[in-house]
Amino acid sequence: MVKSVFGPHTPRVLEVLAGVSALSAAQIDLVARAWHQASDLERAEAWARLWRAGPAPEGYWVMGAASAARQAAKDAARKLGRADWAFWAAAWDAAAAVAGDGPADRDYEILTGPLATVMPALKRACIGAQPPGLAGRVPAQRDAELRQAARGGGHA
Amino acid sequence: MPKGGGAGQVGRRVAKDPFREAMNGGMFRQFFEASRQAMLLVDASGEIQHANARAGMLLGYGPGELRGQPAENVFPGQAVAGHLEAGEHRAGADLYVELVGLRRDHSQFPAGVQVVPVATALGRAAVLSITDLTDQQRANFLLELGLEALGSADRDREALLGHLIRAQEEERDRIAAAIHDDTIQLLTGSNLALQQLRLRLREPEHVVILDRLAETLTASMARLRQLIFDLRPAIVRDGTITAALQDYLEQMRSDTGINYRLEDSRTVVAPARTSMLIYRTAREALLNVRKHAHAKHVQVQLRDVAGGSLVRIVDDGVGYSPADIEERPGHLGLLLMRERARAAGGWCRVESMPGGGTTVEFWVPVDGPLANGDGERDRAA
Repeated sequence: MVKSVFGPHTPRVLEVLAGVSALSAAQIDLVARAWHQASDLERAEAWARLWRAGPAPEGYWVMGAASAARQAAKDAARKLGRADWAFWAAAWDAAAAVAGDGPADRDYEILTGPLATVMPALKRACIGAQPPGLAGRVPAQRDAELRQAARGGGHA
Repeated sequence: MPKGGGAGQVGRRVAKDPFREAMNGGMFRQFFEASRQAMLLVDASGEIQHANARAGMLLGYGPGELRGQPAENVFPGQAVAGHLEAGEHRAGADLYVELVGLRRDHSQFPAGVQVVPVATALGRAAVLSITDLTDQQRANFLLELGLEALGSADRDREALLGHLIRAQEEERDRIAAAIHDDTIQLLTGSNLALQQLRLRLREPEHVVILDRLAETLTASMARLRQLIFDLRPAIVRDGTITAALQDYLEQMRSDTGINYRLEDSRTVVAPARTSMLIYRTAREALLNVRKHAHAKHVQVQLRDVAGGSLVRIVDDGVGYSPADIEERPGHLGLLLMRERARAAGGWCRVESMPGGGTTVEFWVPVDGPLANGDGERDRAA
C-alpha cells in the first residue's frame, strides 16, 4: 500500500475517504446539519492552529487530504442528490485534522465533530478500534438510495 | 440395542462429519493441488508435509522436494514457528504476514503469507498460502515515485505562484510610483501652463478651446489618480483595510444596489503587504458577488484569529454548483483567491450551492512569508 501520499497518517485518511463515499443520504444530511450548528469561529481557529503547527511538507499532506476528502464527499453527495456544501466542508475539515500531525484534542474534536456524528471511529478515543467507514449501514440500503437518486427521487 | 445389531454386539454409534471426512480425504487434496495460489501444508513441528505445484514453481523446487524440509528454509530467520503458533491461537481465524521468501536458487522475493490453521488426520497443521509481492511492491514504488513527482511539481507551482503574486504587487508599486512621479507631475505642470496661457488670450473662441483642453487634462489626472489607487490603495498600504473595503462596498452599492454589512473587530494590524493581499483577495470575492451573485446583501467580517486575520464574505445570491464551476478550466478567480492565501501562508475556503449564496472564508497569518521585507518598497503615493 502507498504509505506516504498523505503523510504518516495516510491509512487513516484513506479510511476517511472510504467512509465518506459510503454514507447514506440521511447521514449526509446529519453531517451537514451538524456542521451548520457548529461554531464558525471555533472552526476557523482550529484550522488556523492546525495550519500553523506544521511547516512543509505537512501542509501539503493536510491540504491534499482535505482536497481529496472534499472531492469524495462531493461525488457521494451528487450521486445521492444532496447539494448542501456543509457536508463536503465537514469532510474537508475532518480529513485535514486526521492528516495533521497531532492537532490538540480540542481542535481535532472541532474539526472532526460533524463527520464523527455518523463515523464515530473518527473520535480520538476510538482510533484503532475499527475503521471509520463502518457506519452501521446495510449495503442494500445505499444501493436503493443510489437507484432512487438516479431516477430523480433525490431523497432517501 | 442398535437396529440391525445382533446379540453380543456392542457398538458405539459414531457421528459422521461428512465435511471432515472430505477434508481428510480427496476433496482437500484436490483443492490444494488445483489451487493457483502457492500453498504449503506445514505440520505442528514446522515441517513441510506437502507443497502444491504452484509452490514448487514459485520456489524453484521439483515435485516432492520440499517435503520434509522445515518451513524455516523458505522463510529463513523470520520466526516462522512463531507465526504458526500465532495462527493457531487465533481460534480458527487466519493470520497474514509479510515475509521475505527464499527460492531454491537463493534469490529472495517479498512474500505475503496467509497462515490458515487446519485440522488433519495427523493432527493440527497449517496451510501457508504464499503470494509473490514483487509486482505489487514495484507498482507501489512507481506510484510513490509518481506521487512524489506530482508533489514536487505542486510545490514548485505553489512557489512560482507565490513569486508571481509578490512580483505582481511589486510591479503595481512600480507603475503607481511611475505614474505619480512622472505622468501626473507632467500633467499638473501642463495644466498650470495652460492657466498662464489663458491669461494672455484675447479671442473668446480661443479661451473656450483652452478651457476644454484644461477640462480634459483635469479629467485625465483624476483617472490617473484612480488608477494609482487601484494599483496601490494608500489606505491599505498604511495597514487599514477597512476603509478601502468600505469605499469599494459603497461604490458597489451605488452601482448595483447590493447592500452590505462590514464588521472589523481586529486589533492586530497586519504588515502592509499582508494587508494588501487581504484587501485584494476580499476584493476578488466582492467582484464575484458584483458580477455573478445577483445578491441583495453581502456580509464582510474581519477578525483576529490565532495570530492571523480571518475574513469571511457571505452573500445571499444565486450561488453556483461546484461541479459546474470548479471542474471546468478557466475559473481563475477562485484559484487566485486560494493561491493568494496560500502564498501568504494561510488557507482559503470557497463554498456555494445553487440558490444558497456563496461563502468565502480565508485566513492569513500576520507573520507569514509576505511579512518579510515589508517596508522596503513603501513609498508615499
